[in-house]
Amino acid sequence: MPLFGKKKPENKSARPQAAVSQKETTYFGKNLKIKGRVSGNGNIIILGALDGEFNLKGRVKIAEPAKIKGEVKADVISVNGNVRGSLVARERVHLDQTARIEGQINTPSLSITEGASFDGEITMRGRSPQASRPADADAAPAFQNTAKSTSK
Amino acid sequence: MVKDNTADSTSLLSKNVKIDGEVQGPENLHVEGYIKGSIKLSGDIFVGSTGIVEADIEAKSIVIQGEVAGNVVAHKQLEIHPSGKLIGDCTAASIDIKEGAVFDGRSNMIKPAGLSAGSSTATKVSAPQSPKQHQP
Repeated sequence: MPLFGKKKPENKSARPQAAVSQKETTYFGKNLKIKGRVSGNGNIIILGALDGEFNLKGRVKIAEPAKIKGEVKADVISVNGNVRGSLVARERVHLDQTARIEGQINTPSLSITEGASFDGEITMRGRSPQASRPADADAAPAFQNTAKSTSK
Repeated sequence: MVKDNTADSTSLLSKNVKIDGEVQGPENLHVEGYIKGSIKLSGDIFVGSTGIVEADIEAKSIVIQGEVAGNVVAHKQLEIHPSGKLIGDCTAASIDIKEGAVFDGRSNMIKPAGLSAGSSTATKVSAPQSPKQHQP
């Protein structure tokens, strides 16, 4: 058995989890393509493709193979995947090192891990103008360093 | 339902989440939320007891515990549980409708191609209030 054991796909363990313990978390697998609008309450993990809009009360995690085209609106957004469009968070946005973003981010609080790529514009609403100005000024050069500079 | 099939991952749409639009791909889908639009999967779809689907569905196997309004195509099997409700036509290779289920629509069977024609696995549907039984 140890010698000839066939390699099983990793979904073996993932499936019961998705069905039982994570009742509350919506999970869109990597093969699922959605065109349109996803809305409601709850947390979402997406590995697949979305062409359209997320409008969620809850957390959205855009995992690594995911491709999003459109607008993502949620309380907390964390990104490992690809987004072309805009991210609007009521609480915070986190871009992990595999994140690839093209577009706008609008959030009161932002963190970016080294290696993430971000081409676009950030607005930090929900902060007083005095507070947001230095934050923007600090943030902007940091992106140009870490992000791949595809813009002229 | 638990056995492995072509789609290797199962997506879950939970209770308070709604999709307006098209859903497709080689994936299994478990719906406890709401979908309006169209669904085309090469995996299976399971509409749970809180799930509501207002869409045409095409999938390998379809299991309905909640509500479906739309035409469904199941390349393998359609199963409607006692709590399930299907308003719309169905096309399936095999159907399994439990007592208490609601099915309002027409049923078409997909004939198994290449199988021994002698064994008539034709499932008999005796829906009480649908006297349409076309048998040429």
